[in-house]
Amino acid sequence: MKLSIAPEPKNGLSATLIATVIAVALVAVSFAGLADSASAAPPKRVVALTPFAANTMADLGVLPKAVGQVLNTSDERSSFNPKIDAGIRRGKIRVLTLTHPNGPNLEQLAQMRTDFVFSSSQWSKGTPAMKSLGIKVQQADPLSLGQTWSQIKSIAGKLGKARVGIRLVNQKRAQVAKSTQNIRSRPRVMVILGVGRTPFTFLDSSWGGKLVKAAGGTLLTGGASADGGFARISDEVVIAEQPDIIIAVPHAETKNIDEAIKYLENNPAWGNTPAADNDRIYVSTDNSLLQADGNPAKVINRVRSQYLKNR
Amino acid sequence: MAAVGASLTFGAVKIPLHEVIDVIFGGNSSGPSAKIIELLRLPRTVEAIVVGAALGVAGALLQGSLGNPLASPDVIGVTSGAGFGAMLIILLYPDSIQLLAVSALFFGLLAAGLVFLVSFTGRTGGGISRVILAGIAIASLFSAATAAMMAAYPDRVPSGIFFLVGGLTSTGWNNLEQIWPYFAFGAVLTCFLIRPLDRLTLGDDVAASLGSRPRMIRLAAALAAAVLASAAAAIAGLLAFLGLVVPHVVRMIGGTNRHTFVIPVSALGGATLLVAADTLARTVRAPIEMPVGPFLVLLGVPLFLWLLRKAV
Repeated sequence: MKLSIAPEPKNGLSATLIATVIAVALVAVSFAGLADSASAAPPKRVVALTPFAANTMADLGVLPKAVGQVLNTSDERSSFNPKIDAGIRRGKIRVLTLTHPNGPNLEQLAQMRTDFVFSSSQWSKGTPAMKSLGIKVQQADPLSLGQTWSQIKSIAGKLGKARVGIRLVNQKRAQVAKSTQNIRSRPRVMVILGVGRTPFTFLDSSWGGKLVKAAGGTLLTGGASADGGFARISDEVVIAEQPDIIIAVPHAETKNIDEAIKYLENNPAWGNTPAADNDRIYVSTDNSLLQADGNPAKVINRVRSQYLKNR
Repeated sequence: MAAVGASLTFGAVKIPLHEVIDVIFGGNSSGPSAKIIELLRLPRTVEAIVVGAALGVAGALLQGSLGNPLASPDVIGVTSGAGFGAMLIILLYPDSIQLLAVSALFFGLLAAGLVFLVSFTGRTGGGISRVILAGIAIASLFSAATAAMMAAYPDRVPSGIFFLVGGLTSTGWNNLEQIWPYFAFGAVLTCFLIRPLDRLTLGDDVAASLGSRPRMIRLAAALAAAVLASAAAAIAGLLAFLGLVVPHVVRMIGGTNRHTFVIPVSALGGATLLVAADTLARTVRAPIEMPVGPFLVLLGVPLFLWLLRKAV
């Protein structure tokens, strides 16, 4: 029984010829594709508006021309890795202040002759204007570990460091795997963003929520859900959930952090929880639970050792 | 002219005046300075002129047609509707941010349309108090809906505050390309309304005896104001102060209520005030760009109060 639906060639030589032509064509197309991607030179003047993009670039061996820092963030809350900090101190990397709605000042971007920006959905309003200045824009602010790996590879590809990117992803994956080993307990954890005196709980869809879960915490959300990653909850919900641990993340200007910390640590509404009874209300003052910084394993390790204590 | 010159010259990046002149008139279009002036400052200045003029005219149209000195685009619900439309995109569909201007325009017009439907239909339709009360009700509806969205998406609210407070942003020519037909329509309709509005100030009966139709004039004026104010809000957010105060300032300075004077001069006054306020908003804390709303009030309120005192 004949299995092939192709017509029988008249002789073996024709079949070989056809196969050879097809193979050569396929190889030629592949090389053409490679040539195209090779000829698209990586951008030279890159600005990284997110800590994740900045730190990933540094890990790939490429320093950005400028990084973004949200208004009223000080060095103490900086999420940049030492290479970026050193570049800033030496004046090789400029710091652009980020404000709503556009993010960086577009005149400064134009003055720097920027040709590529790694941005965030927070600053999406400024994207059309950046594009009209001839600047290419790509989102680089992951909300999950899966997105982290794909965005590292994407950043690496854009910078002409695809192979380095793959190695970096494998390295970071191994670090995360190591950081999530031997989880001895899974305490009930509520992570709360304190905006002024209004509590918002981190949801499953938030970066911090995902990392706390990866660290072995059972994330409590009071049944709240929202697309944005946070939901406003009443202090009654905090008490009803009876969390073993409360991690509070103040969202305050740097100069007001101490006052925010004092309020969160002594919030009377949280007094009737196991977290308060066992003195396990913690305040996380850096931004690593709010936004990816390119080193998830470090954050998971810190959450486990300082807050969950489940090593 | 001075305000326009300042707007083109001053900003986060220092560009000498001779370079600005060279780019605008000399055709020098290379280098970052040229990009900044042509793609950022020039469109923004033109936007400020068009938006300021539109709001000034919208306020003059409403005050003239309704015969009420407190009339402004807020009264016909446009501001609240446009605010709702913009926040809908910012909070619920942030990935479709390019639709912000269109959404603000649509809901601004929808709000005005609902006000017209309620206040101009029926036997007693077209009465001034009915228009104002309907406007307050519709405005409250949209404001409440906006507040509900903000409560549901609190982490995205900071992105929308700039729009709610009112401000121009450097987005190139994109917004004007989308919205210019609405400005053009409003401007053309306004030109046809100038003389009928003057007749309306003589009273409905006198205007009718002169061959005018007071209810149609009010409706047309409200329509023109709604289109101009919606288009302005789509670009610059909620800048209610301009529409309310500029026509009064113009009347006090000119000493006349004639619309042949008030409307064009309100356009000029609104444009000048907004250009000046926007330049301040961009430069006072450069490179941080402040919202322009507070600066409008800072510049406009002292002048308004001084004129008010003189008039009293």
